[in-house]
Amino acid sequence: MVNYGGDEVSALVVDIGSSSLRAGYAGDDIPKAIVPSYYGYKTTAGDGDVQMGESAPENGETISKPPSDAKLYLGQNGPSIWREGMEIGNPVREALIVDFNPVPALISHALVDVMRINPSEHPILVTEPAWNTPANRERMAEIMFEEFHVPAFYIANTGVLNAFAAGKGSALVIDVGHSMASITPVVDGFVLRKGLVSSPLPKLVHAHARHILSNLTPTRRPIDLLSHQLIANKMPVEPGAPPKFTLREDRIPGTTESWKGWCESREVDEWVQSVAGVLDQGWNEQAAASRPARQYEFPTGYNTYFGPERYQVGEQFFFHSPQLVASNPNLPKNIPTLLSESLRACDPDLRQVLMGNVVLTGGGSLFPGFADRLETELSRNFPHVKIHAPGNPIERKYGGWLGGSILASLGTFHQLWISREEWQEHGKAIVGQRCK
Amino acid sequence: MAVSASDIRSALSLPSSSTPVPSAQPAPRKSQGQVTKKPEGISRELYALIGPSAPSLVAHLAKPRLKQKPNLSSGGKVKWEWRTFRNGARTDSLQLGHWAKATDDQNAEYPFTKYNVQSPSFAYSQDEYTQLLEDKDWTNEETDYLFSVVREYDTRWYVVHDRYEYLNGPARSLEELKDRYYSVCRKLIRNRPWAGDEASKAQLLNSYQFDKDRERMRKDYIASLEQRTPEEIAEEEALFIELKRLEQNERKFKKERDDLLRTLLGIDSGLPDIVAEEDGPSALSAEGFKKKKKNANEIDIPPTPSNIISLGPPPPKRAQSAKSVAYDAQHCIIRVEPPPSAITKVTHVPVHLRSFKLPAPKAAILPKVTQALTELGINHTRMVMPTRENCARLESLIEASTALIDTKKIVDRVEQDIRVLRVRLGRQSEGPGEDTKEGTPMEVEGGADGEGELKPEVDGRAQSIVSTRSGRGRKQSRRSISVSSIDTSASARVGKRQKRV
Repeated sequence: MVNYGGDEVSALVVDIGSSSLRAGYAGDDIPKAIVPSYYGYKTTAGDGDVQMGESAPENGETISKPPSDAKLYLGQNGPSIWREGMEIGNPVREALIVDFNPVPALISHALVDVMRINPSEHPILVTEPAWNTPANRERMAEIMFEEFHVPAFYIANTGVLNAFAAGKGSALVIDVGHSMASITPVVDGFVLRKGLVSSPLPKLVHAHARHILSNLTPTRRPIDLLSHQLIANKMPVEPGAPPKFTLREDRIPGTTESWKGWCESREVDEWVQSVAGVLDQGWNEQAAASRPARQYEFPTGYNTYFGPERYQVGEQFFFHSPQLVASNPNLPKNIPTLLSESLRACDPDLRQVLMGNVVLTGGGSLFPGFADRLETELSRNFPHVKIHAPGNPIERKYGGWLGGSILASLGTFHQLWISREEWQEHGKAIVGQRCK
Repeated sequence: MAVSASDIRSALSLPSSSTPVPSAQPAPRKSQGQVTKKPEGISRELYALIGPSAPSLVAHLAKPRLKQKPNLSSGGKVKWEWRTFRNGARTDSLQLGHWAKATDDQNAEYPFTKYNVQSPSFAYSQDEYTQLLEDKDWTNEETDYLFSVVREYDTRWYVVHDRYEYLNGPARSLEELKDRYYSVCRKLIRNRPWAGDEASKAQLLNSYQFDKDRERMRKDYIASLEQRTPEEIAEEEALFIELKRLEQNERKFKKERDDLLRTLLGIDSGLPDIVAEEDGPSALSAEGFKKKKKNANEIDIPPTPSNIISLGPPPPKRAQSAKSVAYDAQHCIIRVEPPPSAITKVTHVPVHLRSFKLPAPKAAILPKVTQALTELGINHTRMVMPTRENCARLESLIEASTALIDTKKIVDRVEQDIRVLRVRLGRQSEGPGEDTKEGTPMEVEGGADGEGELKPEVDGRAQSIVSTRSGRGRKQSRRSISVSSIDTSASARVGKRQKRV
């Protein structure tokens, strides 16, 4: 045990992201519980509340906060099951927790309902994005100590943890998540805050994909992004032919806008995940056309082949067309821009070290060809670039959790826990002091 | 079949009776640990009859046994228990639990506590600050803040610089922070009483040395490196590769030469420092070739300055002490002065016995000279007493015989011409006759007889054959010489190469 520096004290690691919450034992290589961060809620249990549906915001971007007495539907059987009048919420926006009300319920669902453990028996390590606010981390500590009665608590940075998951103390972590893309320089286990940059780039990619699907093209009419919960039956059709399906008319009136928006974006994500890719040598019409087209079938039964357009989606990570830049002044920065911005803020001595230790992580980086394209972009400007991109999708998606699992199972780490005693003695200030 | 009581006992694996059992009939099952054990592959009855003198063949027929499994069940059981522990590196009373061996000491210190080491940090009093550490750029408060940040991040300077945020203070570069910190440390070390010796103090001071301007210049260089254009980078790369290639060639050549010298001369050949040839790789070109060949032919000629107007200073002679002169005289050592031109591989003359450097005739005429000398009863390749005088005589003898052979060649040619002309004249005067054709060779033979004191049996045609063969003979002779001298080794290589071509 002592040989590799590990000493497991049955600590838990909780990693809250925009798309899912990961929880598990420190020392494991896969989180035991993965529950979606999205949750369904109803203000009054039972009858459908049409007023609530109407008052909900039209687009899914802004989060409607449920009243504290709302009934929550969490986990795998939460938002994905159609319920009359159920709204969808997400406590996390741009990787930050903006609404702490449902967070205890989410964590409790993962720890108690899925993992079947008593949180008051285990030290808990929670992750936070590098741009987390002090108020947020203190609130998280408060939830852990006051609501879950944990014996010890620590909050660690996802950038650092991703570097640890790759086995590096110093690294340039490129994290492309569900809603945020960030670049974090890590030196000796500390984030260099001046070099930290982030942008909601994955959202732009998502919006672009939705734009491709729901707009008329010369070869295709707009595609209905209806989810299977709303479809009673469908007939198989030829590729490109109009779909033949019947809607579940009984469900249409009770469907809320937020649930519909969540379903649509899920359909878009599914399509992106199965079809989209990145050209590894930069944008080239011919190269994109020469790649084989992929067939994809939507829940309505409509299916067709997607050719070059599937590479346009991934291209948004690296290059924005001048028209797009001109039309949208608040366009999220693409990855090459973020990289140069981050490196400019770093010491010249450090740049070579960081470029030799690039860690690519996050579920959004799982586009086929993403790592190759990144390497192409980087080696254009730097002579010695080494990218660490785990081939295993679990490691890539849950890199932050994995790093936390490693950290919390180290014997030398146990002196850093904020104990219950310290919390009661020093209060919130201890969080900022201990977790640098 | 007779069944004895012991058979039944052994079949039922009962303990043997109290009556002593003959040693030829041990109970096979029971006697696991005994020496006389029934080998496998023999029936119990048979073993009872023949006893321990079983044929060894049976042992081969027996089933091969697998390696015995390690016995994990007995004794190796480790009991683990969930135990709470206290971490000595913590200041509070947090108790965490982990699985530990039940045999381990309950009160032992937590094994990871020892890794909690604090890096040494400097602190100063207010008096020290006012006396020593005043600086117009830094206030006392900011210096305090700097020291607290450095302590907090254990002198990880990149992190210190990243987290350094002094309110209402000027923006500080990493070099400024380092400079201030190290200069304060140096002043403190210098002015505080020092317990150890001066050397350790100087060493400590050295470890706190920091040159701000140099660091800044270095950073600027790094930044300018990053701003190179791709063309500049490509050019630099190309130059670098070229340099590497040249260096490699040089190294290879040097290695080859050293190997050769070592092979030919032995390690203790007393080589003077050998100047590497300037033309390096180009030595393989045709020009270098010729040069070497020329030098190879000149080996036995005592080195004379071919170029009288030599501009370069003469190479420094090795000072010979009187003692070494006496030593040389006693041991009959004669030193050969190196040629005044630059010492190179080809002009170098290593230590040798005189008998190894006997003068030899030119390779082209070697067979003839040998023949001539053989007729005189002299063997020029071996000398019983190769003293200096004898060598000189031999040399003059060879020179004389060479001259003789040359003269004879000319005489032969002239005579041949005369004969041919005479025959032609005779033909013109007598007309074509049948006998004349046959008569000519006879005459030639006779003429050769009359003339050739040295080689009576060699006629013109034979001579020509010899001369055509001499080409091959030359090569061979060269190679055989090559054993004794480096110069010819070059030509030996030449010969090989020629062959390959």
